[in-house]
Amino acid sequence: MPLFRTNWTAHEADEWTKEDFWACVFSSLSYVFLMVGLALCFLLPWLGILITLIGVVFVWLMYAVIDPKLRKISAEYEVKQKEYLKNLDRVMKWEEQ
Amino acid sequence: MVVFTFWDWLWLILYIVVMIFSGVLFYTLGKRSESDFFLAGRGLPWWLPASSVYATHTATDTPVWMSGVIYQHGLTGMWYSFFAAWCAVSAFVSTRIFRRSLAYSQAEWQTLRFSGLGSELLRGWMAGWQVFMNMMILGWVGSAMGKVCHYAFGWEEWIGLVLFSSICAIYVLAAGYWGVVIADFQQGIVVFLGILIVSVWGVYEAGGPAGIVGRLNEMGESWRLNPFHFSGWFTGDFPIAWFITMLFVALLGGVGMGTTIDWYVEAQRIQSAKSVRDASYSIWAGTALVLTRNSLWAACILGFFVLNPGILSKDDYELAWFRVGFENLPPGMVGFFFAAIVAIHLSTVASILNLGALYATRDLYQHYINPQAGERRLMWVARFSTLLVLLGSFLYGSMMKNITDWLMFALWVMAAGVWLPNILQVIWWRFNSWGYLSSWIANLGLSWLVVWILPQAGVLPQLPDYAQFWLLMALGLLIYVPVTFLTRPDDMNHLVRYYVQSRPLGFWGPVRREAERQGLIRAVTEGIEKQTA
Repeated sequence: MPLFRTNWTAHEADEWTKEDFWACVFSSLSYVFLMVGLALCFLLPWLGILITLIGVVFVWLMYAVIDPKLRKISAEYEVKQKEYLKNLDRVMKWEEQ
Repeated sequence: MVVFTFWDWLWLILYIVVMIFSGVLFYTLGKRSESDFFLAGRGLPWWLPASSVYATHTATDTPVWMSGVIYQHGLTGMWYSFFAAWCAVSAFVSTRIFRRSLAYSQAEWQTLRFSGLGSELLRGWMAGWQVFMNMMILGWVGSAMGKVCHYAFGWEEWIGLVLFSSICAIYVLAAGYWGVVIADFQQGIVVFLGILIVSVWGVYEAGGPAGIVGRLNEMGESWRLNPFHFSGWFTGDFPIAWFITMLFVALLGGVGMGTTIDWYVEAQRIQSAKSVRDASYSIWAGTALVLTRNSLWAACILGFFVLNPGILSKDDYELAWFRVGFENLPPGMVGFFFAAIVAIHLSTVASILNLGALYATRDLYQHYINPQAGERRLMWVARFSTLLVLLGSFLYGSMMKNITDWLMFALWVMAAGVWLPNILQVIWWRFNSWGYLSSWIANLGLSWLVVWILPQAGVLPQLPDYAQFWLLMALGLLIYVPVTFLTRPDDMNHLVRYYVQSRPLGFWGPVRREAERQGLIRAVTEGIEKQTA
């Protein structure tokens, strides 16, 4: 069984799961490693390149974990968006609260 | 003072003409509807809002501020900018929830999330505050541009404040958010190139990586190369306690909405994205560029430090990055550098102008004064509001010397005190409009007490900022949690509608059960499964 799901139904993708948590973790780590690594690339180049590459790995992990789910959420949501926009317009005009 | 050659002027004028022209080109799109003027029709691929995030958050005062912290603290200074890392979490949490709500602004979201009179009070308060804050922020960045122009050309500071914001207003008035985002994309490229060229030039002027490291070692300043050079657990310039607080505030803050002042401008970019997926990646990618841009500056400023150690005046070392560009680039390139500075400035000005006008038009005028206004009327109000925000920025910019301390207070401490409520409004169904409203009112009073009044009276010591944050959070809890429980929950049907559409994270059990009882959640997915079968 894979560590992270890649096949989602619309209902399953709407739920908050461990993939969301790990995407946040990998995303945060990628920011740390990219910021520190790139600065060091111009000061201590070999160390900087290594740290930057680790940051790139975290970016790839983040994308691999969350993208299948995001695609499903987006596809499902867009079907309903027009109706939601009409509701929003009614709220703006005080026709609905 | 900087002297421009013919080629320098050519770069600059060409750049300004291209900016105005490309913005005005989108006039026909921008005038189509309110959705076009403020959200580019909600149809943008992720990389356009991402470049807008990056361009907007690269403002004229940003290299001033970064130069200051890196010159003082070495690479540890980069962590002062790491508050932006809230986007690492927000991209996959609050961005997703907000995008699904479809609210144009955070103020509008209050009436979707909460119900009744409390929600309308929140919307009105937030919209009014945002119009005011956007004028202040524009005045602040305009004032910074005035300083740069004074340094470079000897101009009176008001000229830098007024001239470039007015140029920017031409294409924002014409094309609205379409003009902003297209110009931001181009400006983002110019800015990135400008920062890369000047920063790398600065590093090699100082002898390259080996030269900088060698010189720092000779000076006994090699600690500046360590991004984790802590000064102790609770003491000194860079205590571990501050670092942990910063990580906590930044990363957990991504679960909420409005936990930092940057949320309000990101909210517009989120809604302009064509899908939930595009919204998530736009926030993530734009902020990744912001943080890596800081890395380039950091290396450059360390190079500046080894060539110019021992500068004591903050006003002097804060202009370090600008000095690297103006003093080292050859003629012909200086104009390109100044064009990059203008790009840095215009991208922020354009976004803030349009954002301030959004709150004034949709949240104040359309919702409270003329809900039946047609698109033509709304366009005129939008343009008038843009002008109003511009003029307000001139007023506040001219007062900025006297109000910088107050502005820092407003941005940091007032935001700090509502940090937790901004998360609770997303994750906890029971946190109602009265609880949230009371948190804002309480924080207005408590922040004055904790930061100024009680220390002056000798009741409290002058606390470091991270300690003020924890104290304000604790004191605020004592007020808004009882208010929440002493007032009725929001209307359940309203909450169910919000829940089904936005699918928020957290403690929504009773609302979820009601949504399932009403058959709304299953009904939505069953309907889609039938449609897609």
